[in-house]
Amino acid sequence: MPLPQGKWLDVDGLRTRYYEAGRGEPIVFIYGGNFGTGDSASSAYTWSENLLPLSEHFHAIVFDKAGQGETDNPRNDEYTMAAVVRHAAAFIRALKLPPVHLVGHSRGGYAAARLALENHELVKSLTVVNSGTLSPGIGTNEVVLAKPPYPAGTRECVRWVYQNYSFNPGVVTDEWVDAVMFTLGIPKYQESVRKMTLGKLGSKLFLPELAREKRETLQWINEGRLQRPIQVIWGFDDRTAVIDRGIELYNLFSCHERRALFHVINQSGHFPFREHPKRFNALIRRWVESLA
Amino acid sequence: MMVFVHGGVPGITPYASGPHIWGPLPKGALAVEVRGHTVDAMTASVRQAIKGKCHLVGHDLGGLLALNLAIEAPELVSGVTAVASVAAAPTGDGVPNLTLAYPPEPLWSKHSQRWALERVSYSHAHVSDELVNACVSAAGKQSPMTPREYEDEFVPSLMKAKSRFYEVCRSEGVKVPCQVIWGSHDPLTSVDQGLWLFRGLAQKQRAAQFHVINRAGALPFREEPAAFHQVLAAFADAV
Repeated sequence: MPLPQGKWLDVDGLRTRYYEAGRGEPIVFIYGGNFGTGDSASSAYTWSENLLPLSEHFHAIVFDKAGQGETDNPRNDEYTMAAVVRHAAAFIRALKLPPVHLVGHSRGGYAAARLALENHELVKSLTVVNSGTLSPGIGTNEVVLAKPPYPAGTRECVRWVYQNYSFNPGVVTDEWVDAVMFTLGIPKYQESVRKMTLGKLGSKLFLPELAREKRETLQWINEGRLQRPIQVIWGFDDRTAVIDRGIELYNLFSCHERRALFHVINQSGHFPFREHPKRFNALIRRWVESLA
Repeated sequence: MMVFVHGGVPGITPYASGPHIWGPLPKGALAVEVRGHTVDAMTASVRQAIKGKCHLVGHDLGGLLALNLAIEAPELVSGVTAVASVAAAPTGDGVPNLTLAYPPEPLWSKHSQRWALERVSYSHAHVSDELVNACVSAAGKQSPMTPREYEDEFVPSLMKAKSRFYEVCRSEGVKVPCQVIWGSHDPLTSVDQGLWLFRGLAQKQRAAQFHVINRAGALPFREEPAAFHQVLAAFADAV
């Protein structure tokens, strides 16, 4: 399913790509991954099966995070999750939206939770989807996706990565691979790959900073600081963020928040919103309606 | 159409369940009265009560009856929601759950049933006089099972039905979409037990889902009705 016509917005000096459709309660989607990966690349397209169907009921918005998709790379080489979260919050502010329903997947689930913790006034509810990054347990991406058998940056490599994320390899369409290849081909994205790998910003800056902030983020959640309705949606067959990670996460949230739901979708890997869009969209729709 | 199937074993479960247990139903839905002393007879009573193809929502034993009917007559069932269905879930070599071990007498009196309903809940807030009166009225109308009938007829029929259900899950699978809904604080079970019921269904049924509703016990549809009906509606939208 195609995205609507893309738009541009200046967000704290970063030219930011975004897509929106529909009217009503605002839902902002934050996809996963991070800048500077050469064998896969997320972008707003990740939510292509969700934006238009949900725009029939709500104001649905997806955007490219700092350094990902078509959005400019972080300024001053600030390749950190903190910069990503700051940019995401500034994006929501720049759109002058009432408090939004945030839906974050994988690393985007972490970004969404951190954004909510730092900017309660921007967030009405939170949905976290298959986020090993936010869960306190061990994620297994590095095990499942270790050393793809194809050269980084090739279609074959991209297809292999997303097929290994998925329950049904058939869900990785040519269109999905095309979208990833488009991102991998953008010069500014290639620059982020160089900086994160050859420049070692991935191992020296991004990962250690994320680990340090994750400790703080989990501590804040444990202290009950999230204080927004929250649901956790999990693809049951995800080998990179197994179901136990979702249960741990739900237990963290639910001890502080009455309106906490946990949903498991069968025969789905890491991307339940792409493998079962109809069921995922129904869960989002009923959730947002219940809080409207 | 949604059809709600209550749980409980008359004369054994210390609160009398029935159609009243569900509270307000969605528009057009029907809550049936389960009758019989074996799982097969109870399933037949559900089959008799439904009119046309429907989504069955079953609580505890009602969940097993719904799954049983979906196995026997998939042409009559568009989907199954099993709610806090300890009766359908695997138990392994579990220890007895003592939540309802020592009910105050006289059994099925107002006092005794209130005690039981509160014991199986996360919060007593939903246990209204209206609910307790409806349970007392239901107890007066039901034909109670004797302990002998329970042991000699009901329990063997339950074991047989569960065994067939797990075999179907393993082989051809339940032929209709299924979801499991569990209360996060159900004193009669654990979330893990609900997840294992889901795991069984998920083996062969693609459209299987599992949901946990927070701060709810064995009657999540009473304690958190908005969240419960939200989950039901989302499933109906999608499958």
